[in-house]
Amino acid sequence: MSGQGQVSFRNIVKMHGEFAALKGVNFDIKPGEFFALLGPSGSGKSTTLRILAGLDAPTAGRVLIDDKDVTSTNARDRDIAMVFQSYALYPHMTVAENIAFPLEMAKLPKAEITPAVKDAARKVKIDHLLDRKPGQLSGGQQQRCALARAIVRKARLFLLDEPLSNLDAKLRLETRAELKKLQRSLGVTAVYVTHDQEEAMTLADRMAVFMSGEIQQVGTPAEVFARPNSIDIAGFIGNPPMNLVPARYVDGDVIIAGHRLKTTATTRGERDVVVGLRPGALRMAVGGLGARVDLIEDLGDTAVLDLDCAGTMIRMRVADGNIPGEGDTISITARPQDIHLFDPATRMRL
Amino acid sequence: MTAKRLRIIALLAISTVFLLAWAFPIVWSVMNSLKTDSDVLAYPPKLVFTPTWEAYRDVLFGSGSILPNLLSSVIISVGTTVVTMLMAVPAAYALARLRFRGKKFAGFYVLATQMLPPVGIIIPYFLVLRNIGWIDTYQGIILIYLSFSLPFAIWLLVSYFEDIPFEMEEAAYLDGASRLKTLWRIIIPQVRGGIAVTVVFVFLNAWNEFLFAVVLSGNTVRPVTVAMFNFVSVEQTLWAKLAAVSVLAMLPVVVLGVVAQKHIVKGLTVGAVKGGGRR
Repeated sequence: MSGQGQVSFRNIVKMHGEFAALKGVNFDIKPGEFFALLGPSGSGKSTTLRILAGLDAPTAGRVLIDDKDVTSTNARDRDIAMVFQSYALYPHMTVAENIAFPLEMAKLPKAEITPAVKDAARKVKIDHLLDRKPGQLSGGQQQRCALARAIVRKARLFLLDEPLSNLDAKLRLETRAELKKLQRSLGVTAVYVTHDQEEAMTLADRMAVFMSGEIQQVGTPAEVFARPNSIDIAGFIGNPPMNLVPARYVDGDVIIAGHRLKTTATTRGERDVVVGLRPGALRMAVGGLGARVDLIEDLGDTAVLDLDCAGTMIRMRVADGNIPGEGDTISITARPQDIHLFDPATRMRL
Repeated sequence: MTAKRLRIIALLAISTVFLLAWAFPIVWSVMNSLKTDSDVLAYPPKLVFTPTWEAYRDVLFGSGSILPNLLSSVIISVGTTVVTMLMAVPAAYALARLRFRGKKFAGFYVLATQMLPPVGIIIPYFLVLRNIGWIDTYQGIILIYLSFSLPFAIWLLVSYFEDIPFEMEEAAYLDGASRLKTLWRIIIPQVRGGIAVTVVFVFLNAWNEFLFAVVLSGNTVRPVTVAMFNFVSVEQTLWAKLAAVSVLAMLPVVVLGVVAQKHIVKGLTVGAVKGGGRR
């Protein structure tokens, strides 16, 4: 029953009446990959996952799993396991019965079910809770139970819909790491929906960034971080996200608030652009862009400064021990390769 | 005396008045069922008397035994309940879950049937049953009872089904369950409380029904509520026997209430308590 777990979306469109939730989505997921669908709420990432699971039907387009068209295949025949945001545990069954349910549905003999349930429970460290009901578990334990129910069947695809969003911050970090290890050890293809770019960055081998019903970029987290395709992605990825500043491009230089900065990015002629600057790529240097420190957010090992550069707000990340005072005037610059250019009209990268 | 004590005494007094008003008919029935006919009519009413089982013996084993009528009531009530539930559970699930044409209208219709004054439709029902030859038959009475109990049961059950998150069902589909399996293994176990409450209400409504039974039944099918009426005639009312039958007719209701109480209380508070894996 375990297959390859290769997924292709071909021009998937999903309409809710007049509203286009997905406007022609295309992507491919390789077998064994940890693939994240990242985007703000309402961007279509959950709809994409539901279409992949077979819980919603696309209005147009085709879904292929392992090169087979499954667009009109029932959810239960797709050999897909899923962890829901709410966990969707069956409250009237014990943990063991919850985990066993998919195997029972697959009509496995009892003698095989019991060891499989124990094994799955052990993998997520809830083997001591098998006799409890979901209502007697903590949030983290419920989440593990949902994971166990998903991995017990060794399905070819493993879908996760914001599985960590109901956990507290500390538990979320721990579970995030375990989830990655679990996926690696199982070697299963995982598709992970999240609005938290940090989760996507740390977990995913590759990710698709959704913006208002379209995929704007597919790539490894490092690629997306280093070369965001559009203003929207640039403003979404990174914490804090990239500064996006209106500027003028003149022969290999950008002019921000009257100050010239060299850039390696090129475009034709002289024109208005939007300059993207990562807060962490900004440096303090003599003779740079003058800026007044409006506010300091001290994060311990680093601090984020809100700077006022002649009316333009820019955020900058500085290391501890290098923090100016509020109200100080400093001078900042960036390396030419750290300056990204975007077209203000199309909002795409130049 | 503090204000708090006063309040407690006032509350106790009010509760006592309500309790007495509620308990009086029952106490009256039980007492009179244990009296002889002459004791019943004694004035002033005798509070102390020698109890006798005579009335019970007569109504159960005498010439006008009500045992067949009790049986009739059981058949009608159980039949109505079983058929109602068999149809109401899938219907309520459909109304709660599926999207189909005319769903809004169906929901309105279900509720609207509950608002009709029953007495207004007795004659049409009588005509319908007479034309198909179902007067004084079990299937006739059950059919008519269904027309009330089914909408009521559906209406009651829908809210229980709606309480179950969609994701629970979707999880079951992805786990490989069919829609029917999902309904049976995942949904119904979670609405057990609601089903128990509905069963009790439907059964009691059928058991206690008098108005339709008196018109649509006859000599073959005569539930206990109608048979009871035989003890009231133009010449005399057999109070002791009437009381004895009343007590006998009340027994199943009381038993059912006690047995199902746990479920009813649980069923009525469903959704009010967090936990159980619900969101």
